[in-house]
Amino acid sequence: MVDATMPLRRRRFRVRNLRFWIPLTWIMMLVLAALCAPLIAPHDPLAQDLFLERLPPFFMDGAEPGYWLGTDSLGRDVLSRMIYGARIALFVSVIAAVSTGIFGSTLGLLAGYYGGWWDRVISRLVDIWMAFPPVLFAVLLVAVMGTGLTSVIAAIALIDWTRFARVIRAETMVQAHMDYVDSARIGGARRFTTLVSEILPNVMPSIIALLMLEMGIAVIVEAILSFVNLSISSDDPTWGSMIAEGRGAIHFAWWVLLFPLITLFLTVLSFSTLGEGIKKKFDPVLSS
Amino acid sequence: MTTQPHEKTLEIRQLNATLPNGMRLLRDVSLTLEPGEVRALVGESGAGKSMIGRAVLGILPSAVVHSSGDILLEGQSLNALRPKTRRSTVAKMSALIPQDPLTALNPVRKIGPQITDPLVRIHRWSRDRALKRALELLERVHIRNPERVINSYPHELSGGMRQRILIAAAFAPSPRLIVADEPTTALDVTVQKQILQLIRELQRETGTAVLFVTHDMGVVAKISQKVTVLFAGRVLEDAPTEAIFNDATHPYTRGLIAATPTPNATAEPFRPVPQDLIAQLQRDTQAEDMRFYQGGRK
Ligand SMILES: Nc1ncnc2c1ncn2[C@@H]1O[C@H](COP(=O)(O)OP(=O)(O)OP(=O)(O)O)[C@@H](O)[C@H]1O
Ligand SMILES: [Mg+2]
Repeated sequence: MVDATMPLRRRRFRVRNLRFWIPLTWIMMLVLAALCAPLIAPHDPLAQDLFLERLPPFFMDGAEPGYWLGTDSLGRDVLSRMIYGARIALFVSVIAAVSTGIFGSTLGLLAGYYGGWWDRVISRLVDIWMAFPPVLFAVLLVAVMGTGLTSVIAAIALIDWTRFARVIRAETMVQAHMDYVDSARIGGARRFTTLVSEILPNVMPSIIALLMLEMGIAVIVEAILSFVNLSISSDDPTWGSMIAEGRGAIHFAWWVLLFPLITLFLTVLSFSTLGEGIKKKFDPVLSS
Repeated sequence: MTTQPHEKTLEIRQLNATLPNGMRLLRDVSLTLEPGEVRALVGESGAGKSMIGRAVLGILPSAVVHSSGDILLEGQSLNALRPKTRRSTVAKMSALIPQDPLTALNPVRKIGPQITDPLVRIHRWSRDRALKRALELLERVHIRNPERVINSYPHELSGGMRQRILIAAAFAPSPRLIVADEPTTALDVTVQKQILQLIRELQRETGTAVLFVTHDMGVVAKISQKVTVLFAGRVLEDAPTEAIFNDATHPYTRGLIAATPTPNATAEPFRPVPQDLIAQLQRDTQAEDMRFYQGGRK
């Protein structure tokens, strides 16, 4: 019995670890690339060179040495632009996710634990908010605030705080009925103390998982807004603007579209997988 | 602390608790607990035993309304206190040994702070002193490796260990009153005996008054000096334990005692409390409710 189950268990254990380590490695690589962009990017991401336009990536005929992933229609190096694009993508995703998470989770915790008046007001606000179509919301906001990263971040936070509020409210309500909350209260803990030091640690894994998900979403939203030219100026290297430009040249320079698209896809996937992984790792009961 | 010896540790006066829909959970419940006394609170499931304990400790579910009556701890009326003072007063004087040792400990926090928090927060002890006290108590409840346990998470320990820890945590601040809400029901039979023994020992050593919720009349006989029998939130009988076992006045109590399987007569058929008696009691309760609601409307 023990012998029969052991290999299976060990294998499952390893798969779960891979699902944690692969996305983590990818994200760490991105972080590194973003931080050291000036050092590792082979070229200036903005430098145009009409003699080098639409160079294919290194494994195709006609590739130039040094231009690993080819160049775009203006002769700019795709790899360098992607590396600088990681800077913007990660900056936006971290700032947007953290601000969204703090705002939404705080409201969720308050509504879920205090209930009553708090819960009625916050839940109603969430309902009303969610009745707005999010894309329209984002476009409107950018129209009012002007293009730029600040508007992109604000748009993400304003649209997505409801996800945090809803999920964390539900989780908090479950935790609030646990006996350990009563134990803390009998031990003289004030309600706010109970919320922060007893309940919050229990919903933290969910908050982190949502944060990861949100970072993935933020990367996509930033890409979409760049794609429709509502983020920062289109010269700046963002994955979204690269995809937008690559779309026009797909028949004769597919790499300009494909490489940023794959990067975007892998990044979003990594964030959400990592979120689940971290949630499991943080949970002392599940991880033992 | 200054305590007049004549003062009762706990006095519940005419306590009523209702749900918003008018359903009555506690009906004019009165009981007292002398210093150092153990009072058993018995009755069938849903009778309101836990509700009384929760009312005393100030953790009634949010839906339940404490509609009238008062609770006095060492003569101090809790009604007279503002919520904040009330919480700290209750925390200073009382503690709980809960039914389910799995859920009563916070799964993501280490054992140590869960024991020492109230000592530091309410009794204003230093961390070191609280930690020393926690270790001392853990040793007292026969936990072999207190230093290691203090740095463990609840899921790393067995159910029996956790219940020992909760007993240690309850006795650590030397409370005047402990509410023990079926502290052995969630445990293995073998562990149950040890836990019960432990509570009894510590209670005797410290002279803490205990309100002991149970539905096991065998336990009642072992641990308590007084018994309160509860049915549908109403006190049916309140008497010294000996009197209850020798000649209970209420037929329901006699039924409860008869229904207890005795260890030396396992072959004896199990006799539950007669159904017609329970039906009669339910009719009485309904009739009383009718009078209560009509009286209230006048
Ligand atoms: N959170 C709650 N909201 C509303 N009603 C409740 C709640 N908890 C318990 N009750 C009701 O209060 C009554 C008394 O419950 P209580 O838990 O005190 O019973 P008990 O005597 O402790 O029973 P048991 O032996 O099963 O623990 C029951 O009828 C129950 O349905
Ligand atoms: Mg109960």
